[in-house]
Amino acid sequence: MRTKQEYLIRYKDGNLYCELADIWIDPSKPVKKALITHAHFDHFTFGCEEYFSTIETAILLKERVGDNIKIKTFEYGEEFKINGINISFHPSGHILGSSQIRFIFAEEKWLISGDFKLQKDQTCKQYEIVKTDYLISECTFGLPIFKWDESNKIANDISKWITNSPEKTSLLFCYSLGKAQRLLNEISQTNFKGNIYSHGSIHKMNNIYRELGIDIKDTMKIENKKKIDELKGSLILLPPSLSKGSYLKNFKNIQTAFASGWMSIRALRKRSGYEKGFAISDHADWDGILEVVKKSEAKNVFFHHGDSEAISKYLVENESINVLLFGK
Amino acid sequence: MSLKKFSELFGDLDSINSTNNKIEVLKNYFLSNDPIDNSWAIYLLTGKSNKRFISGRYLKNLFSQIYEYPQWLIDTCYLKVGDSAEVITLLLKNKTNSRKKKLSNISLNELLSETIPALSKLNEEEKNLEIKNLWEILPEDNHLIFNKILTGTFRVGVSIGLITKSISKLINIDEEIISHRLMGDFKPSIDSYEFLINKNINLQELNSKPFPFLLANTIEDKIFKNSINDFQFEWKYDGIRMQLVKRSGNVSLWTRGQELVNESFPELVEKMSHIKDDFVLDGELLVWNFKEQIAFDFSLLQKRINRKSPNKSIQIKYPIIFIAYDLLEINGRDIREIKLENRRIELEKYFSKWQNKTENDIFDIFKICDLIFPKDWPDALTYKEKSRENNTEGLIIKKKTSIYSSGRKKGIWWKYKVDPMQLDAVLIYAKGGSGRRAGLYTDYSFALWKDKELIKFASAYSGLTNIEIKELDKWIRKNTIEKFGPVRSLKPEMVFEISFEKIQISKRHKSGIAVRFPRITKWRKDKKINDADSLENAYELMNKIS
Repeated sequence: MRTKQEYLIRYKDGNLYCELADIWIDPSKPVKKALITHAHFDHFTFGCEEYFSTIETAILLKERVGDNIKIKTFEYGEEFKINGINISFHPSGHILGSSQIRFIFAEEKWLISGDFKLQKDQTCKQYEIVKTDYLISECTFGLPIFKWDESNKIANDISKWITNSPEKTSLLFCYSLGKAQRLLNEISQTNFKGNIYSHGSIHKMNNIYRELGIDIKDTMKIENKKKIDELKGSLILLPPSLSKGSYLKNFKNIQTAFASGWMSIRALRKRSGYEKGFAISDHADWDGILEVVKKSEAKNVFFHHGDSEAISKYLVENESINVLLFGK
Repeated sequence: MSLKKFSELFGDLDSINSTNNKIEVLKNYFLSNDPIDNSWAIYLLTGKSNKRFISGRYLKNLFSQIYEYPQWLIDTCYLKVGDSAEVITLLLKNKTNSRKKKLSNISLNELLSETIPALSKLNEEEKNLEIKNLWEILPEDNHLIFNKILTGTFRVGVSIGLITKSISKLINIDEEIISHRLMGDFKPSIDSYEFLINKNINLQELNSKPFPFLLANTIEDKIFKNSINDFQFEWKYDGIRMQLVKRSGNVSLWTRGQELVNESFPELVEKMSHIKDDFVLDGELLVWNFKEQIAFDFSLLQKRINRKSPNKSIQIKYPIIFIAYDLLEINGRDIREIKLENRRIELEKYFSKWQNKTENDIFDIFKICDLIFPKDWPDALTYKEKSRENNTEGLIIKKKTSIYSSGRKKGIWWKYKVDPMQLDAVLIYAKGGSGRRAGLYTDYSFALWKDKELIKFASAYSGLTNIEIKELDKWIRKNTIEKFGPVRSLKPEMVFEISFEKIQISKRHKSGIAVRFPRITKWRKDKKINDADSLENAYELMNKIS
């Protein structure tokens, strides 16, 4: 067995790093070269000399970091070479532009799953099965208590939640990039025909999605001075950061909900402070992670982002897959 | 009409914060379902059923066995979820795709009065098969309620008060009447529901039932602005709050939790029935030290509470006393509306009448509480400080002109408790919480210095804010030395102020001391571990008090 230093990709200073190419994956501090799997804030940082990503991720990234960054973009599946290592992006189904990243060097394949899901999502490309020798996978929801319902079922639940309280203004909190657009897309296919408003941060992302050809219902931007009567019976999408503090005082007679995979657990739902929880996630559930491990045909798996102990032990005991520890 | 409807009700109540909306939802539920199922719903929601058909452990083992699931994986999931019934519900998802026809509309009544009780008549193997079968034929969104009923862990945050309010709204009758009807035993049946929603108030049928209890509030500074003469002062006993009801010659003992406990205290029931008058007394049940004329510790009372039909030797070993502090009804006359000072006069009058006319041995087991007469508020404070000497928790202060209303009404009764004892201790272990606190490290153990060693002296769960809990949880994960199952040993670094009610010698603990009701009162970020207290300080505290 090789030592940690001999792996093509390893953990260095808490980040994934490929020494041979001197390139980092989703680094949390400024580096020379950074591969970016997707444009969520916890997957990139400001100030890198050069970024590499898919085209969609690059557009979202520029919206968040600024226009003047140096960024090389690639199509899904397009291979490029750095120091003799072949690198390519593949759809991961997490949000628009999100990708897995594959490395091939001396006939050895490595795959970094990025954040991924297998569930249907009309706002981004479907997860692509990529074969590999080594898999580095996220396991945010790496316990068998996590099993997602179909997203149209959740959307119908949301629609019912709103229409059952026509006197109220329904505030649905969700991440402004990805989750919000997926929800809008799904909700527009339900029986709910009332008004939908988005907070500015979500509205901005909606517009980018639409420019990139994704079918997102046209929503109105929520203005602070809206008349309360007009909002009765309508849905407002807001980022979770606004759930605490004075922002909610802008509304009267509200009901609140949070859309997140964690909401499948009652204790977390109660603790979250939202009245209602909708368990919908852009990450894979337990079965999803296992399916990806299996179909990737990886013989060696590393897990990160989440409680990796349980799923590691399970795979070792039940699937005779070699689960390795990075040692962060 | 069905388990399905009840599951929906549970879901609705669970996702509404506003009390008024909850009442509305309950009212509509009662309107649209039949009496027998309503009766079961009330039974379940008020937590009157604590009957456990199988344990959470049994449920987890059964699932593991049927679906060949590793036990450790279920246990890991449990740490995240904190409730056996819910873990199994989540794990069952998509597991029961059998072709069996779904039982989509089983009534609550059928489930609770037939299907589930029938389980206990089966042998283990048959029982397991039947539970598996029920999992397969019940629709998935009914599993949580079903598992919760099985394991007797039904808690939804619906108080009796909420049920009372919604029924009161439903039939337009005063809450007091409904809450009276809801007290004590509630056997689910059409009759019990119809009794509850009966629009005619019949006093006869309410005969054995106690009155809704009046509860004391924690003292507020504003009370000190009032004249001391406006108030009646009593010791705050640490026993079981109880109403002793005697009507038509029958004695009933009711706890504040609305439990009828005649069977646990037969000697009290027997002796009180010698009194000729009918009455309702409000007071405290204690295990009594007759030699010193003070109460024994609550722990001795615990030896009596859960024991039904105690034999003579238990009765002698743990002698009880009922100390009455209020008279609510006398010979059928409800006197709750007259002023406390006048009720006290009545209480004393009847007590001395009974003393003269009844066999003397009653008064071994029944007395009325002594009053305290502080000269002014500082004097009251002195009394309060002395309360440890007679094993009470402080003072109860009652407004002399108050009537006996129900609930925790402000401005009527106040509790003025002794300041807790405190030590600064070092956090050394943490364990995952359950229920609402699942997935967070919320059960803590604290240590005091003995020479250069930290010795565990108390565990505490409560006292931190949610924000502090999260912050500490983060710290715990980063500063773990070792894991033993769900417990982590931690780098000694954090100091907390621990408050408790009582400190005594204990041979069972390595520290040699035991404290009662330990809780965190401050996160002493300003203190280093060397500033924490030593066991010696704890012993000093103990000596100071005794």
